[in-house]
Amino acid sequence: MPYSPLVKELRKCLGAENVLSAPSELAVYDCDGYTIEKHRPDVVVFPRSARQVADVVKLAHRHDTRLIPRGAGTSLAGGCVPVGGGVVLMLTRMNRIVEVNLRDRLAVVEAGVRNLQLARALTGTGYHFAPDPSSQTASTIGGNVATNAGGPHTLKYGVTVNHVLGVEAVLGDGSIVQLGPVDDPGCLDLIGVLVGSEGTLAVVTKVWVRLTPNPQDYRTMRAVFGTVEDATRAVSRIVAAGIIPAAMELMDQAIMTALEDAFHFGFPLDAGAVLVIELDGLSAGLDAQRDRIVEFCRNSGAREVLHAASPQERELLWKCRKSAAGALGRLSPTYITQDGVVPRTRLPQLIRRIAEIGKRHQVRIVNVAHAGDGNVHPVLLMDDRDPQQVQRAMAAGREVLEECIRLGGSITAEHGIGVEKIALMDRLFAREDLQAMARVRRAFDPTGRLNPGKVLPEGIEEC
Amino acid sequence: MPEGWRLQSPLIAVTETLPLTETIAPADEAAVAAAVREASEAGTPVYPIGGGTRQDYGLRPTRPGIGLSLAKLNQVVDYPADDMTITVQAGLTMAELADCLSVQGQRLPLDVPQPHRATVGGVVATGLGGPRRYAHGTIRDYVIGIRAVDGLGTAFSGGGRVVKNAAGYNLCRLMAGSLGTLGVITQVTLMVRPLPETSALLVCELPKLDAAERLLAGLVHTKTLPAAVELLAGSAAQENPAMGPMLSSSVARLIVAFEGSRPEVDWLVRRLADEWRQEGVSPLTTIGHSEAGPMWDWLSEFPAHVQINVSPGATTDMVARLLRLDPGAAIQAHAGNGVIRLRLSPPMLAELGEVIRSRLRPAVAVAEGRMVALRCPNGAQLTRQDVWGPPGDGATVMQAIKDRFDPKGLLNPGRFAYAD
Repeated sequence: MPYSPLVKELRKCLGAENVLSAPSELAVYDCDGYTIEKHRPDVVVFPRSARQVADVVKLAHRHDTRLIPRGAGTSLAGGCVPVGGGVVLMLTRMNRIVEVNLRDRLAVVEAGVRNLQLARALTGTGYHFAPDPSSQTASTIGGNVATNAGGPHTLKYGVTVNHVLGVEAVLGDGSIVQLGPVDDPGCLDLIGVLVGSEGTLAVVTKVWVRLTPNPQDYRTMRAVFGTVEDATRAVSRIVAAGIIPAAMELMDQAIMTALEDAFHFGFPLDAGAVLVIELDGLSAGLDAQRDRIVEFCRNSGAREVLHAASPQERELLWKCRKSAAGALGRLSPTYITQDGVVPRTRLPQLIRRIAEIGKRHQVRIVNVAHAGDGNVHPVLLMDDRDPQQVQRAMAAGREVLEECIRLGGSITAEHGIGVEKIALMDRLFAREDLQAMARVRRAFDPTGRLNPGKVLPEGIEEC
Repeated sequence: MPEGWRLQSPLIAVTETLPLTETIAPADEAAVAAAVREASEAGTPVYPIGGGTRQDYGLRPTRPGIGLSLAKLNQVVDYPADDMTITVQAGLTMAELADCLSVQGQRLPLDVPQPHRATVGGVVATGLGGPRRYAHGTIRDYVIGIRAVDGLGTAFSGGGRVVKNAAGYNLCRLMAGSLGTLGVITQVTLMVRPLPETSALLVCELPKLDAAERLLAGLVHTKTLPAAVELLAGSAAQENPAMGPMLSSSVARLIVAFEGSRPEVDWLVRRLADEWRQEGVSPLTTIGHSEAGPMWDWLSEFPAHVQINVSPGATTDMVARLLRLDPGAAIQAHAGNGVIRLRLSPPMLAELGEVIRSRLRPAVAVAEGRMVALRCPNGAQLTRQDVWGPPGDGATVMQAIKDRFDPKGLLNPGRFAYAD
């Protein structure tokens, strides 16, 4: 098949080895971790520098083509699905760690650097990059910026936006800008707006990330509860007492069963929920806080609280939590991981409602939650070869998110809107709110070429 | 104790700095929207007014318009303490907010001058940080929901009431630090934190600024977790009322603050004192929790004329350079963050515009820093570039945002860094 004029120019500009255009090669880029909706891109490119990204953006302009920035493609809401085709801009070959500067407590990384790659490069420095999404072995810093990624430790340390000091980005007109890392009171916080904008405002090519000192010590424990309600009550009591653990991860019975089948961690299978709680900080304060947490857990009905006595045991407790996704394969051929968030005191209500919703739609739903943040990941199990099951799972997922809205929460805490949740945006926000967002989009990208069909529903115009 | 610093932080009447034809104080958001809509239709500028504590921040506006006071929007809307969030109207003062939170053992861990007058909305709009930004960041790290009225009189909101929210663009961040130029902020939801049980400050005197850089660089590998790292130099080191006079051989003071439980703070102070003694630093002074109040107040209230931001590692060099330019200056640096706040000596202040243009801006440019004038004294002839600096890479997008939120250019016109 002859190359289209756009592909020809891209090959000339980037080198043939950095351009994919054969249908078989393009199939991989149909979707991300959200596999329900797929669109084939016209071409996939692998620029090596911001300059090349800018060249691609300008070429896309000339050829009136859409641009979809993409990192590792681990996102779960379809944020990098090429709706309507276009050029997929892969940032993964821009993967250099440019600088680690401990004096200024920052690292400078290209957008395609993997989260874990940065973590490894920082080993031994006494510092780390705080956001640690479960996808961290694969996901890129650029992708973390795009989704404002979180992870288990956000309760104490915040999400990506709290850890980005500066960005280099290519705007919709092909210009390259650097914002930060030195704070400028004379500029709007455009960095804060770019973080979490899902590649719809600019293509981020480089990031100045804040480095956080490693904690001196940890206390990690696992508390077993008869019911999810008891576990969430313990979470509320801990937070209300002014203790901010580094993480409070909740797993329900169904997840535990799957984990047990897969890995034999030794979970009691008749328990309703498990909390993995981690305190970190100065050794001087930790034992006193741990004792209080144990007391809160016991008072909330915990039947057992287990402490990690060594770093190896701590690793094992975290392995239990982080293996959850892997174990799900044992439960069903496919699943949708939802991402809902409510004020944390509403968590018991939400979990109860999720069970009802699952029952009504005949969808098995299991839950993992960053309980301290009120952030639940209901996992809707299904077989995607059966369209009816897919339909039911989608309907149940939507209802869960509507319930989050009703309880005063939001439809995503850390995955983003993508294509998956776009239809719920006008439920969460008033029209005026969406119009304000449309103004921001238009200001950054007057052409509307960057990642169209994401975040804002169609028909929302600035006014 | 010199009173100078107090006298130079006057409560400036808004009528002195803003060209107001009248001031109105709507009772609720709908009334704010109606007032802005009316002004918009008439093409009248609108100057939002909170506590009036920063009315001399930014360029001096010239177009006559109405003052829009948020004083009547001063209610706590919702405080689910167990969720550690609070929703308040924009006109609530920071002191009222702090009182309300402290009943539940919580706080907003920021330092704001004149908290009995400064309002939540004003603090969000100006977006400036204080000493605790080292550990706790600035106001924009705490705003999780916002309501505002744009330049056409349309109310809109962003964010929500949950601490973690990835839905849509972050309008909270957009509004924080926008100086009321994109919308009149009417309501804010904040994430809050537990009040620490106790605090302490460890202070040392330094014979040379080089020694400051050595200690600051040493903090990279400290085992301690400071809440704030403050460097006082020039007359700021001498005049500090919370401390006695310095040794005649000292030129600067370094203050490191700690917060936490009693055992934590005891350990932190002992540990840093050990680290510093090994560096040969003496004498060291510890200020305990019960005596720390005046020092925190002083650090929060320190009145400066300009703020210079550089990378943290360039702080001491910049401080030294500034003292060479103006040996009579008083300097407070949030040294862990590279934020330097400079109070010029009276002769320099008399030539503020000239000093900024020919001395300060070139020094800041060399350090690849940013600088803003924090106050525009009466009579000072300052241009936009004097106050806000040369436009950065974000200028075009920033202007495009402004043009869409306030197409007639009526919100706080002439004050911020736009080209208008």
